[in-house]
Amino acid sequence: MPLINMPEFSGRLLDDFAARGAARIDTPVIQPAAPFLDMAGEDLRRRIFLTESETGESLCLRPEFTIPVCLRHIETVTGTPRRYCYLGEVFRQRRDGDNEFYQAGIEDLGETDIAAADARAITDAVQILENLLPGRRLAVRLGDQSVFEAVVRALGLPAGWQKRLIQSFGNTAHLKQLLQRLASPQAVAGLSAETAALVRQDEAALIAQIDRTMQETGYSTNASRSPREIAARLKEKLALAETRLDGSALLLLGEFLSLELPLTEAPAALAGFADAAGLSLGAALEGFEERVAALAGLGMDVSKITYRAAFGRPLDYYTGLVFEVTRAGDDAVLAGGGRFDRLLTLLGAREDIPAVGFSLWLDRIEQARAR
Amino acid sequence: MTITIALPSKGRMKEEAAAIFERAGLPIAAVGSDRSYRGRVEGTDDIEIAFLSASEIARELGSGSVDFGVTGEDLIREELADFENRVEIVARLGFGRADVVVAVPEIWLDVDTMADLGDVAADFRSRHGRRLQIATKYWRLTQQHFSGSHGIQLYRIVESLGATEGAPAAGQADIIVDITSTGSTLKANHLKILSDGVILKSQACLVRARKPGHEDNPRVTGIVDAIRAAL
Repeated sequence: MPLINMPEFSGRLLDDFAARGAARIDTPVIQPAAPFLDMAGEDLRRRIFLTESETGESLCLRPEFTIPVCLRHIETVTGTPRRYCYLGEVFRQRRDGDNEFYQAGIEDLGETDIAAADARAITDAVQILENLLPGRRLAVRLGDQSVFEAVVRALGLPAGWQKRLIQSFGNTAHLKQLLQRLASPQAVAGLSAETAALVRQDEAALIAQIDRTMQETGYSTNASRSPREIAARLKEKLALAETRLDGSALLLLGEFLSLELPLTEAPAALAGFADAAGLSLGAALEGFEERVAALAGLGMDVSKITYRAAFGRPLDYYTGLVFEVTRAGDDAVLAGGGRFDRLLTLLGAREDIPAVGFSLWLDRIEQARAR
Repeated sequence: MTITIALPSKGRMKEEAAAIFERAGLPIAAVGSDRSYRGRVEGTDDIEIAFLSASEIARELGSGSVDFGVTGEDLIREELADFENRVEIVARLGFGRADVVVAVPEIWLDVDTMADLGDVAADFRSRHGRRLQIATKYWRLTQQHFSGSHGIQLYRIVESLGATEGAPAAGQADIIVDITSTGSTLKANHLKILSDGVILKSQACLVRARKPGHEDNPRVTGIVDAIRAAL
């Protein structure tokens, strides 16, 4: 390796990836910015390096690899399943640490055996770290979006509240706010008496009224939200405002979110929770159990992995597993990963492509090796 | 050491700032013609006045190339990352009042709060094939309000440098974040302010750049005290 600023273990890492059946893929450093901002939200804008092409297209320095790898996969129309690996520089504005640093990782696209692919991603990440950090104790933390979604659905809340809670999973402060609102519903303000009366009675008349107002105010031609959509959400909102989660359901949700225990005990604990609460978690629980079994099948010590029910990422393309690996007793994430089944279609893939992967923070691994 | 004070170069802001400096015993005179962009305080030779545009003043304060400036709080908070560590808001001057607000089309009868907007934003992509778009020149304030205070992540900012209120009707964006003093332009464009959509109540401020030379400089404390006493 002629590049002197690459981590000295890069060669070994690439060999390790190859031995795990992943084909290396490279992506341009300069990327269109829109997919990153679309997927991760405007918050990212402050943390990436943006520039513009001569024609005004918004470009950025690659802030991560998952989106470029997925875009490249869609572009090249190669079939699935595919295992890609990458190693290269990423660029982010950080308060701590350098603005450019190396990441490497594996993205597993199109593997339909979900439990097996999840287990393999975790196992790969842990084994690679064990190879690079011999003798250090690692801590693995695991969460599951789909289990949270199943609990929320089983609680029998209206669809609107389910969506809100699911959207905020992983954002602890926001989730707490929502639960407070759910405990003490507030009356809907800001409706004229006339509209309020229409909502309670005739949906068609309401739609007609909205349509008329839009025509008069010149909004109809360019309106993104149609009269029908506005009317439907208004009705939904009124229904939601009247919903109050009874005390026991709130307690159950709180109890679930506080679960944190060794993964070996998690399936029984979740099943016990569901039984005691009279909830059916169905496929989510089965998938969870299969993943634990698959991990054990790959030789992982499952008792060393911690399941934390509230661990998630508040991005709408994460759909199931999330995990991160640190050194025991340390906060710095050395590897982070998860399942993002919704990402490829959001990026323009024609068919659903299940996907799971992880990335390794090579700068932090380098520091951990030195200690 | 010469102290540089940046003042608005035109309009009401310029006049009101001059009036306060006058009351504070620091009468401003233009150097050369009335249209000159340089000035001084009568009777002193160690204060320089630079007449600049309001957003330039915010940037110059951020880089420390002027010692004081009079500009809107909205511009300080928008233009300067981490503004509290770089500048100090010495006094709020009581003019140039305007609010930075989140406004949506009036006809969005179902949207009255940021929480409503969060619901709409969450669904937007699956319904319309793109994220909710916000026209604004206030990138930073919008992000802080949406992501920081209300946990709303899924939207896109469309840069708008003028006539922002027209963007929703023209189809350039769905909603706006903009500054308003009376709300009449919003009303004329059939927009309404969300009940918790006031991001900032802004007004003109005397702002000091945090510079090491300022400590124990009697000139600096003298200006601060004089302006505060004039309010």
